Amino acid sequence: MSTDSKTAESLLALGVARPEEVAPLFAEVRARFDSAGAAVHDEAAWKLFRDAWLGRKSGVLTQITDNWLKPAPPELKRAVGAALNDLRAHVEMQIEARRVAIESGAEQTALARDRIDLSLPGVIRPVGSHHLLRQVFEEIEDIFVSIGFSVVEGPEMETPYYNFEALNIPEHHPVRDDMDTFYIELPPAAAGKPPGQLLLRTHTSPMQIRTMEKQKPPVRVIVPGKVYRRDNPDATHSFAFHQVEGLAVDTDITFCDFTGTIEYFVRQFFGANVKTRFRPSYFPFTEPSVEFDVSCIFCGGSGSGASGVCGKCKGAGWIELFGAGMVDPAVYGFVGYDAKKVSGFAFGMGIDRLAMLRYGIEDLQVFFQNDIRFLRQFP
Amino acid sequence: MKIVYNWLKEFVDVTATPQDLASCLALSGTNIGGIENGPHGAIIDAEVGSNRPDCLGHLGIAREVAAVFRLPLIFTPPRPAEDSAAKASDAARVTIQSPELCGRFTARVIRGVKVQPSPKWLKDRLEASGVASISNVVDISNYVMLELGHPLHTFDYDKVRAHAIVVRRANPGEKIRTLDGVERTLDPNAAVVCDGDGTRAVGIGGIMGGAETEISFSTKNVLIECAWFDPVGVRRTARSLKLHTEASTRFGRGADPEMAEVASRRAAELILQLAGGELLSGAVDVYPGKRSPKKIRLTRAEILRVMGADVPDKEIEGILGALGFAPVRVDDNRGAEGSLLAAWECVQPSWRPDVEREIDLVEEVARIRGLEKFPPRLPAARQGALRLPHYEAEARVRERLIGLGYHEINTIPHVSEERDALFRPDGITSARIANPLSEEANVLRSTGAVTMAAALEWNLNHGQRNLRLFEIARHYRLSLAANGAELHPVETRVLTLGATGEAREKGLYDSARDFSFADLKGDLDAIGSLAGGLRWEQGGPDWLNAARRGRIRLGEGEIGAAGQLARRIAEKLKLRQDVFLAELALGPLYCMYYGVKNSRRYQPIPRFPAVERDFSLLLADGTVFDDVRRTIQSLGIADLVSIEAADLFRGRNVPQGKYSLLVRVTFQSREATLTDSQVADYSAKIVAALEANLGAQLRAG
Repeated sequence: MSTDSKTAESLLALGVARPEEVAPLFAEVRARFDSAGAAVHDEAAWKLFRDAWLGRKSGVLTQITDNWLKPAPPELKRAVGAALNDLRAHVEMQIEARRVAIESGAEQTALARDRIDLSLPGVIRPVGSHHLLRQVFEEIEDIFVSIGFSVVEGPEMETPYYNFEALNIPEHHPVRDDMDTFYIELPPAAAGKPPGQLLLRTHTSPMQIRTMEKQKPPVRVIVPGKVYRRDNPDATHSFAFHQVEGLAVDTDITFCDFTGTIEYFVRQFFGANVKTRFRPSYFPFTEPSVEFDVSCIFCGGSGSGASGVCGKCKGAGWIELFGAGMVDPAVYGFVGYDAKKVSGFAFGMGIDRLAMLRYGIEDLQVFFQNDIRFLRQFP
Repeated sequence: MKIVYNWLKEFVDVTATPQDLASCLALSGTNIGGIENGPHGAIIDAEVGSNRPDCLGHLGIAREVAAVFRLPLIFTPPRPAEDSAAKASDAARVTIQSPELCGRFTARVIRGVKVQPSPKWLKDRLEASGVASISNVVDISNYVMLELGHPLHTFDYDKVRAHAIVVRRANPGEKIRTLDGVERTLDPNAAVVCDGDGTRAVGIGGIMGGAETEISFSTKNVLIECAWFDPVGVRRTARSLKLHTEASTRFGRGADPEMAEVASRRAAELILQLAGGELLSGAVDVYPGKRSPKKIRLTRAEILRVMGADVPDKEIEGILGALGFAPVRVDDNRGAEGSLLAAWECVQPSWRPDVEREIDLVEEVARIRGLEKFPPRLPAARQGALRLPHYEAEARVRERLIGLGYHEINTIPHVSEERDALFRPDGITSARIANPLSEEANVLRSTGAVTMAAALEWNLNHGQRNLRLFEIARHYRLSLAANGAELHPVETRVLTLGATGEAREKGLYDSARDFSFADLKGDLDAIGSLAGGLRWEQGGPDWLNAARRGRIRLGEGEIGAAGQLARRIAEKLKLRQDVFLAELALGPLYCMYYGVKNSRRYQPIPRFPAVERDFSLLLADGTVFDDVRRTIQSLGIADLVSIEAADLFRGRNVPQGKYSLLVRVTFQSREATLTDSQVADYSAKIVAALEANLGAQLRAG
C-alpha cells in the first residue's frame, strides 16, 4: 500500500494500535511531502501541490484529520494529534517557502520576456508647428504687451496718403526713391468707379496715422504685419517681408523713454548681455531719428571670428537692427494732435532679419518656401 | 561720398586716427560704409543721408568733425586775383527765365588758359575719390565739387553763342546731346541751360552739360557756371531721364545757394594756378532765389520735453556755434547759466536746408552731444494693453490645428494671374499689380488656396510626400462698396488647409493609411466645434473634385469649402498624388467662437447609465446618414442622446445599389435608469420610422 492511499484508510485498517507506531507513519507522509515538494518549480505546479496537501475538502492534511485523527481510539488520539500538528507546521512552512522561491524565479523569466524595449519609439502622433516667423511675432508681442503696448493691425493695400504724405513724405521726397513701391492696377471704370491710387504698404508706419486718427493720447501700440518693397529676391531681400511697428505718444514721452523701451525689448529678445547703441539717422517721420545697433551676437561684439574677421558684422562688432526715433512734430499735424503738448516715439523693426539673426538663418527665402523640413525644425 | 582723410585735414586739424574719426562720425549721424587704406592714405566711405547735402563735400564733413571734436574749422573763402580791366559782366550775359527751377546762376570768365593734363596731386585726389582725370580745367570743376560740395560746370567760352546764357524750362520733346554723347529727350520739368537767343540747349540744369560747348584741349577761354537748381525739379528730371550724376545728387538734395559764388571763386583760383590765363573782374550773378536767413528759436524747455535730460548751456552754444547756427541767448534770464527758461535765437545756415524748426535744433544738439548721454528708462504704462480682438480665437484655432498635425506656413501673396484664375470665384475683381517684378507675381492672391497649392507643390517637388499644412493669412480683392459705386480694396482673413499623402505612416504599431476627405472633414469639424459646429452641404467651387467636396456653413452663412483638388488643376500643377484643400473665412468663425464661448454653461453629468442600441440597416445608395439621423430625431424621443454611424460597408452580402450602415443610438435619462421595455419601445419606433420613411431594411444581427 502506497503512502498516498494510506491517508484514505483508518488507523485501524492500517493496523496501527499503539502510540509508538504513529511516528513512523507520519515520517513516511512527511518524506512523501518533501519529495513531492522538491519537484515543484512553477506557479501552476505549486498551486496543485498546495491544494493536494492543504486543500480543505480532500487535501492530505484534511484526510489525515478525517481518517486518522477523528476515528482514533483514545489511547492514540494524543500521539496522532501531536504528530499531525508537527506535520501541518512543516507543510505550511515549506509550501510558503516554495512559493517565495518560485515567485522570485518566475519573475526573472517573466521580466526577460515581457520587458519593453525602451529604445524603440512610442506611437508617434504627428504634431504640427507654428511657423518660425509666427513664433517671433508672438514673442515680440508678448514683450511689448507686458510693458503696456496694445496690438493693432491694418490694411496692406494702402493709399499714398497713409503710406507717405501723412508720414511727412511728400511726393518727390527722395525717401520715396528708396522705398520702391508696388502699385495696384486700377480696374477700368466700367466695373465701378475706380478707387484712388492704391499701393502695397512699404512699411507698417501707415498704422501710426490710422491709430492716431482714431484715438487720443495716451497711445501705446505695436503693429505686426506684412510689408512690400519692389526688390528682386535674394538671400537677404524679398519683395514681401514682415515688420513690427511701434508707437507711443503721450504728454510726457521723451527720448530717454524711447531708448529705455528699445533696450528693454532687445534684452528680452536677445538676452541680457547684448550691448546696444543708437546712432543718429534720418527718417522723414521721426526727429531725432536713430539707427539702432546691437553688439554682434555671433562674435560677441569683438568683430573677430574663426577665420579672422566675423562674417556677420564684417568686423564692426555691431549689427544694425532697425530705424526709429521721436515722432516728427509734422506728423501730429496730420492727425490733429497738438505737437506742443504731446511727444512720442516710433520704431519699425524687420522681423525676418531678427529671426535670421536669432536662429542663424542665412537665406531669407526659406521663410517663404515652406519646406516641411524647415517647418519641422522649429516646432 | 568718399572722404580722403588727408584732404579732410586741410579743413580741420583733427588728430584722431581714421578709425576713431569714422566711429565718431557714425555716432554723430554720418553713416560709415567702411574705411579703405590705399596709396592715397585712408579713405572713409560716408553714406550721407538724403537730408544732408552739406556733407557731400569735404568742407561739410570737416564741419561735422569740428563740431564733434570742438576744433576750429579752417576755411577762408578764396580771393583769386582779378587783375583784368575787362569785366565779366561785359563778356557774358545771363538770363534766368524760370527762377522756380534755377534760383541762382553765376558766371566767371577766364581768358587765355592752357588746357592740359592735371598735375599729380590733383590726379591723386580725384583717383582717391573715384573720379577719372580728364584735363586740368575739367578736373578742377570736379575737385571743387568734392571739396566744397557744390557742383559746377565749365564751358568753352568761344563755343557759347553770343556769350549769352539763358536758363529756361525745356520744351516738350526738346533734345540735347549731353557730355556723355547720348542724345536725350527732355520734358518741361527740366531746366535747360541755353546759349545765344535761348533756342539751343547746352546743358541740363543741375544734371549734365552738353557736348556742344564742352572743354577741349584746344579751349582758350573758359566760362565757369556755378548755379543753384531747385531740388525737386532736378530729382524729377534725373529720375525721368534715368540720369543720376554727382551733380544731380547734390542739387537734388538741396545745394547751398550761397556756396555757388564761393565755389566759382575757388574754381577760378585753381584754374589760374594750374592753367594760367586772366580772370575777368567780377562775376555775372543772377540770384532771383535769394532769401534772407531764417531765424529759429531753441528753448531748454523743448530740449527737456523731447530729450528727457538736460544739456549744459556751454554744450548747446558750442555745438550750435560749430555747426554754423550762431546761437544767441535771448531770454530774460540770460546770464543765468542752466536756466530752465533759457532760449537761444539761431540762424539757419544756407547749407542746412534740413534745419528749419526748433525740433531740428534739438536733434543737432543731441546728436553732436552723443545720444548715449540721455539715460534710458522705461515709460509708465498708462492703460491696459490689449491683444488683437481675435487673438484668443486664433490662438485656439492654431493650437488645435497643430495638435492635429498641421504645420503652419507663411507665403508671399504675389502670384501669377494664370494661377490665381484657377482658384478665383466668378465675378471677383482681383488686385493686380501695376508694376510687377515679373509675370509670375503680377496679382495678389484672391484665395488662400492658390498659395497653399504652391506650397504643397514645392514640397512634393522636393521629395516630401506626406504633408499637412495650414496658413492663416489674407486674400485680396477689389469689391464694390455698399453704395455700389466705388471699388474698395478688401483684405479677408482666411484659414487654408492643404494635405496630401499618408494620414498615418506605416510604423511599428500601425499600418499606413492615406489622407482622405474624411480626415479633412474631421479636422475641419474639430476647428468648427470651437465655434458651435460646421454644417456641410453639397457643392463647392469647381477647383474641387465634384464627387469629393462640400460647402461649409456656420451660423447663417457660408464660410468656405473643402475637398479634393480637381484632377484638371492637379494635372496642370503636375501634382501626381491626391491633394486636399480647404479654405474658411475666419471672421465669422471668430465671431461665433466668442458667442459660443460666452453662452456655454455647465451641464450636470448624468447620474443614470446610458444605453446603446445598434441598428444594422440596409439602405439604398443615395440615402445618406443625415436622412437616418433626421428620421430618428423627428421621433422626438426625449431620452435620445446621440446617433452615430458605427460601420459602413458595400459588397459581400450586400446587394447591388444598397449599402449597409450600422447606426448606434444612445439613450439616457436624467431622471431614472431606463427600463428594458422603454428602450425596446424606442427601438421599435426607430425601426418603424426608418422602414417607413427611408425604406430601410433591418439586417439580422
